[in-house]
Amino acid sequence: MSAKDMASMEVDEDVAAEATSSSQSLAVESTSQAASGIINVVAPTSPLPQPAQSSASSSSLSGLCVVVAGGSNSEVVSGDGGTVMASAGTVGSVSVSLHPLVILNISEHWTRQRAQEGKPVQVLGALIGKQTGRHIEIMNSFELSYDELGGHIIINRDYYTVKEEQYKQVFSDMDLLGWYTTGDTPGPPDLLIHKQVCDLLDSPVFLKLNPMARHTDLPVSIFESVLDLVNGAPTMLLVELQYTLATEEAERIGVDHVARMSSHDTQESSLVAENLQAQYSAIKMLASRVRLIAEYVRASQRGEVEFNHEILRQVNALTHRLPVLSSDKFRGEFYNQCNDVALMSYLGTITKCCNTMNRFINRFNLLHERLAMGRRMRGLFF
Amino acid sequence: MNQSQIAQRTWEMANNMESVNAADEIYQYDRKQQQDILQAKPWEKDPHFFKQIKISALALLKMVMHARSGGTLEVMGLMLGKVDGPTMIVMDSFALPVEGTETRVNAQAQAYEYMTGYVEAAKQVGRQENVIGWYHSHPGYGCWLSGIDVSTQMLNQNYQEPFVAIVIDPIRTISSGKVNIGAFRTYPKGYKPPDEGPSEYQTIPLNKIEDFGVHCKQYYSLDISYFKSSLDKKLLDSLWNKYWVNTLSSSSLITNAEYMTRQIFDLSDKLENSETALGRAGLFGLDPQEKKTEDKLSRVTRDSCKTTMEALHGLMAQVVKDRLFNQIPQAQSQAQESAQPSSQAQA
Repeated sequence: MSAKDMASMEVDEDVAAEATSSSQSLAVESTSQAASGIINVVAPTSPLPQPAQSSASSSSLSGLCVVVAGGSNSEVVSGDGGTVMASAGTVGSVSVSLHPLVILNISEHWTRQRAQEGKPVQVLGALIGKQTGRHIEIMNSFELSYDELGGHIIINRDYYTVKEEQYKQVFSDMDLLGWYTTGDTPGPPDLLIHKQVCDLLDSPVFLKLNPMARHTDLPVSIFESVLDLVNGAPTMLLVELQYTLATEEAERIGVDHVARMSSHDTQESSLVAENLQAQYSAIKMLASRVRLIAEYVRASQRGEVEFNHEILRQVNALTHRLPVLSSDKFRGEFYNQCNDVALMSYLGTITKCCNTMNRFINRFNLLHERLAMGRRMRGLFF
Repeated sequence: MNQSQIAQRTWEMANNMESVNAADEIYQYDRKQQQDILQAKPWEKDPHFFKQIKISALALLKMVMHARSGGTLEVMGLMLGKVDGPTMIVMDSFALPVEGTETRVNAQAQAYEYMTGYVEAAKQVGRQENVIGWYHSHPGYGCWLSGIDVSTQMLNQNYQEPFVAIVIDPIRTISSGKVNIGAFRTYPKGYKPPDEGPSEYQTIPLNKIEDFGVHCKQYYSLDISYFKSSLDKKLLDSLWNKYWVNTLSSSSLITNAEYMTRQIFDLSDKLENSETALGRAGLFGLDPQEKKTEDKLSRVTRDSCKTTMEALHGLMAQVVKDRLFNQIPQAQSQAQESAQPSSQAQA
């Protein structure tokens, strides 16, 4: 009776708990991201001594948003004449989420080309994914073949059509979203290529990865183009877009595994320690961010930093969000979940006990039989 | 020279970006060397020639995501790479538009056109490696080769050497938090492999256990290691700066609920099996019978321990989140007190 009934009860429990527990994870995620968001605003305006930025990657306060490291958009100037960036303050029209797979794809493409050519080469490729309304999810990418004619890069259209056919067979629900390249800040050559991609797609996004970046945050920037009037002539300018990293449980585990494998010399014999390691690192990051915010508030109080009402308002809002979920209903479901897991471990322990008992009884019987046999034999002869 | 300057110099030396690192040399494709190896065919004499396999970070991620996107359906794809002594190297992978790979041997033949087209196109953008193997997924039932897989792989090893078979289980990956993957090569028909000792135990659901047992001696697994380029390393480090939020907010009890339930059902079936077997054996008390039922019960015990531990890990994450975000003490002194035990708990 036991296990099957327990299992079906668990299913009901889980369905009920899912609503509240998943809302807890969502709440946790949004709170952590709010904490990160505040750091964005704090960083450019605070003259706080950057805490241990050189070595400790976890405490890097600029490790949160592309905007922080770059300062502000309007400072970007291209090499030969004129800016290609729209003025700061122009807001992008779409929200972007990027999968880490794309980043690794581009990195591998660049590394491969460099290994084969012997020196760093600029690489070019296409981005594919899904677009729903004003949200773009960039899920995958592939390389594009191009020719250099008179110093300008021309995309090979036939190659693209061949590849399009191929990926449509495997990823039927993904479309072309834009293109990527490597290099530093965007300039007029990028705009030329962007115009070519505009022929294939209405409003492509443009991703630039800088493999030579020196700072510790993600050197990936995403732009879209707008037509603006500059000196009376309509020109295409680039607007930087904010992006988030898309998560998918399997991807996260894969990325985690790949990131930590080089430091895999010490074989963790404790499964618990292995499991908690990831949690511990994440909590360490959270703690450092919170410490930073607390430092800022204290410094504001002492008058070392100028009073910025907006930031303080955000900090206030953040602290008021805690506790994240504490309704009675949540408590009830949470304890249900704990009970379910406790029940499972109880069953597991019982099974283990049964096994040990069984083996013990078998061996006892064996021994007893041998002894009994011995006595019987002796009884026969004596 | 102050601290930050010293640190930057050390960083620059460690990540010497101007020249190709030793770590990145693996990305170079030496056509002559590969052709020599293909001519020599050292694997023909020794069925156990290939012992290790190196998988690139990108290939791993692509395969895992493709396997995951299939949900409960098996998916399949091919891998590009090269050979280096007794090590096979997988540089990249791509998905194939075929379905139902567990029921047909010629699934690969159907995708032949796609494969040639893809490899052609890849060569045009500088990826010169050849197809070195195939991968497919076993969603929820572990990494091993089924009967069909074994026949497919034997066919491949006859005509497309060098070739390797990789199996990925995306569902177990998510439930255990570690990538569940295996790389295999089959022995030629009739070859008696030397006894290689017990391999790592994995739980197989009851309905697949026969298929596993019949064929498990016909292939051997290779040691898997991974590699990544220096740029990958840098990007992954900076990725963590944004990704920690997702780690903290992931909730494995919910994502794995269905899988755990299935495991429990499977466990109950296995327990009933071993119960009937035990009942029979109790009457006669024969030694070999007892050995078998003991094994059955111990195996069930191991499976149940694994499931229980995964559930406990999930609960640990939930409790940590609750402690961090929900239990906010009201008074200042209380805050200090609770900060102490929580930091001790985390240490």
